[in-house]
Amino acid sequence: MLGQQMRKAVPWLARVLAAGGALVIVLLLWPAKSIWPEWKPYSRVPVTPSRLEPGTLVWKQPILPARYAQGSCGACHRGELPEAPNLIHGRQLLARFNCIACHRLQDIDRPAMLGPDLTNVGTKVSREWIYKWLKDPRTVTDADGNVTVDGVSTNPRMPTFHLSDQELLDISAYLVTQKKKPLGPYHFSPGLVAAVAAKGDPVDQGQIRFNQMFCVTCHALAVDRGGETTLIGGDIGPELTKVGSKVKPEWLVAWLRDPQSYLQHTGMPQYQWNDKDMYEVTQYILGRLTDPELMKDVPKLDPPTDGEVSSGRLLFVKKGCAECHSIEGVRPRSDFGPDLSAIGMAGGPFFVEVKSARSLPVAPHFVRSSATPLEVGISQIPRSMIAYLQAKISDPESVTPEARMPRFHMSQADLDDLTTALLGMTGAPIPASGGNSLILERADPEFHPDGKFGKLYQRFKCYQCHAFNGYGGTLAPDLSKEGSRSRRNWLVDFLQNPQTLRPTLTVRMPRFNISEQDATAIADYLSADLRSPNVDPNGVSDSEFTPEMAERGKQLFDQKYMCQSCHTIGSSGGYVGPSLNNAGNWLTPAWIEAWLDNPQVLVSGTIEPRRSFSSDEKRDLTAYLLTLKQTPAEKSPQGAMQDGGHQ
Amino acid sequence: MRFLLIIASVLVGGMALVLVASRTLTLSTCWCWTGSRHVLAQRKPIADGSEYVSYGSYDTEADWDNPQRILSLDYEQAQGKRIFYEKCVWCHADATPAGPSNRSNVSPAPPLMNDGAVLNAVSDDSLRRTIALGGIGVGKSAMMPPYGMSLTAGEIGSLVAYMRVIAVPEYHQPKRTSHWPWRSETK
Repeated sequence: MLGQQMRKAVPWLARVLAAGGALVIVLLLWPAKSIWPEWKPYSRVPVTPSRLEPGTLVWKQPILPARYAQGSCGACHRGELPEAPNLIHGRQLLARFNCIACHRLQDIDRPAMLGPDLTNVGTKVSREWIYKWLKDPRTVTDADGNVTVDGVSTNPRMPTFHLSDQELLDISAYLVTQKKKPLGPYHFSPGLVAAVAAKGDPVDQGQIRFNQMFCVTCHALAVDRGGETTLIGGDIGPELTKVGSKVKPEWLVAWLRDPQSYLQHTGMPQYQWNDKDMYEVTQYILGRLTDPELMKDVPKLDPPTDGEVSSGRLLFVKKGCAECHSIEGVRPRSDFGPDLSAIGMAGGPFFVEVKSARSLPVAPHFVRSSATPLEVGISQIPRSMIAYLQAKISDPESVTPEARMPRFHMSQADLDDLTTALLGMTGAPIPASGGNSLILERADPEFHPDGKFGKLYQRFKCYQCHAFNGYGGTLAPDLSKEGSRSRRNWLVDFLQNPQTLRPTLTVRMPRFNISEQDATAIADYLSADLRSPNVDPNGVSDSEFTPEMAERGKQLFDQKYMCQSCHTIGSSGGYVGPSLNNAGNWLTPAWIEAWLDNPQVLVSGTIEPRRSFSSDEKRDLTAYLLTLKQTPAEKSPQGAMQDGGHQ
Repeated sequence: MRFLLIIASVLVGGMALVLVASRTLTLSTCWCWTGSRHVLAQRKPIADGSEYVSYGSYDTEADWDNPQRILSLDYEQAQGKRIFYEKCVWCHADATPAGPSNRSNVSPAPPLMNDGAVLNAVSDDSLRRTIALGGIGVGKSAMMPPYGMSLTAGEIGSLVAYMRVIAVPEYHQPKRTSHWPWRSETK
């Protein structure tokens, strides 16, 4: 009865609307099923990777915003991960900026050396320089005051501390009195000075020498190219554009002669200088790499008083300088800053805090708790972990006015990468990583050769650019298997007179002026101890190859496989691979055959693809490559030096 | 009673309409049932300064010919970009991370990787074969070496995906044959 009445009573429009409304609500709720749980409190118990079933590690979208998504990879992956370049770069930056000096970070150990040792800094620079440096540790700036030139950050690793004038006076007074090992005056013989002067301006000659020695492989110089400041050179060592205005002449000479006596952990190799080179290069550095404007804002400073020195020492401790710089009588304190080993959230123990309304400026699945409560305070930054981290790194006082943390300068891209790496920090070291440290870059060398080679290895700092058995730099080729690749005699020649095999590269191996005796010692060690198990040195010998084989090999090289698209022979060919002009003197036949068989086994990640040559083809190609020899006249030291000078 | 019912139904209907309208306006997802995989049209160009670049993408790439145009890459395309800059850039671009390009040393000149005028006409299968077998394997210049033994099939696929997204003029996927036999379309 009631139903009939109602059917009559309710107009048809309302009925249709109600039915349609119900249908639409169902349609709405159905897809929302998958969206809503993300907005609710996710869990009451910590979520860790081990708790998740294998299938749950697949997310429909990045758990972090796209730019930082690789942070999630870092929750589980240790070591190299080529798929996540930003994460790896960010981890390198964590080490580069010495974040570990003050903060505890997951799987990153405190390296042997952080900032420069200041035990003898008084012998290196003046009090005025320290004052200027502490006030603003930047020397190269654009016309508009920027510190990035040509897209490359010139920022030193030293952050900016907020120091009052009195504090600057005190710390500079304290540091300039640090002269544990005083330096005597230096002098060059008058005969040498006269001989150099007779040839022309010593500064100009020094510049040529500086270029020939390829100092720019590690040190950058800012040059003015049509009004635009550009950085040229590597970033292994500090940028040197204005170093002549910084260091004292006697320190420079002593440093170049033996860097390790000033700074035990330095990466600077000890060159075998002769007096003429030393005179010319120091004249160049002190005469041309200068800027008279640099110190114009620094007041004239008097010799330090005892009061200044003692309050400077207190400040040195209070500001945390000792966390990075060692100085006699001051010890670093552990955990100067908060523990950041769980600052990242992906994968680690976290609670999703999404109890606030959706209209608030919160990105709910970015804000998760970490081990340390965040000091967000009264600041205006958006309440997301990413915004917080970035504000804290680039301007800590915008987050907390009384922050102890200094301001770090880096490009936005670097800042994003650093943030990505921090977002991958998820707590205690991960057991599956086997205790592997994330970054070995600045750790103690794990490759400890002994004997004569060990000494030379330390003196020339080979590991700064070359890798040995997994430890070392990435700028130059990995030498772990060099003994199988290169012939011993070629190594001896090359070490004394390094010539590039890749003519288009602007960085080259510096000329260390290695003596024949030392070169022989190094070549002997490389040939005997750094060999590949995949190359049998006795498997192939030069005498097996006949001219007919070489002739067929040439056909294969030129016509069938067209290797000249990447390799130069004579004066034509490509420059993706090394020039093969001297392959016969350089490479061992066993290496060439193994390489043609599978290059990736010998050098993982090499561009040269693995191909399916028949074994006859491999022998023919090897025979051809062994006939490629340059006459020794072409690689006389004089010729090479002129080559280098053109660069 | 009658009035109450009328008011209630109008309220429910009105609210539903408002909901539909607001959801259509604010939600970028499409109105499909869950479970069906929907791929959003790539939004490009993306205004710089937006807080996060295209939620759901992994990497970005500036168009070679027009730096104002920013492409957002999904995971596969981003991996293709990485492999491209490791292996291919040396000959298939006019500028390389190391400076000069080897392109001028190779003849016939290899196509630029974003040259849609040439590469859009080549099918995915054919591109994959060329990368895997090299020029020598598909009857083209032997200067292109084969990468089939150095790269996995997945990596080669991601290279093709990257190639497609950077193509100028833009690449459009050829129309697939319809599921309905009576409306079959040709490519």
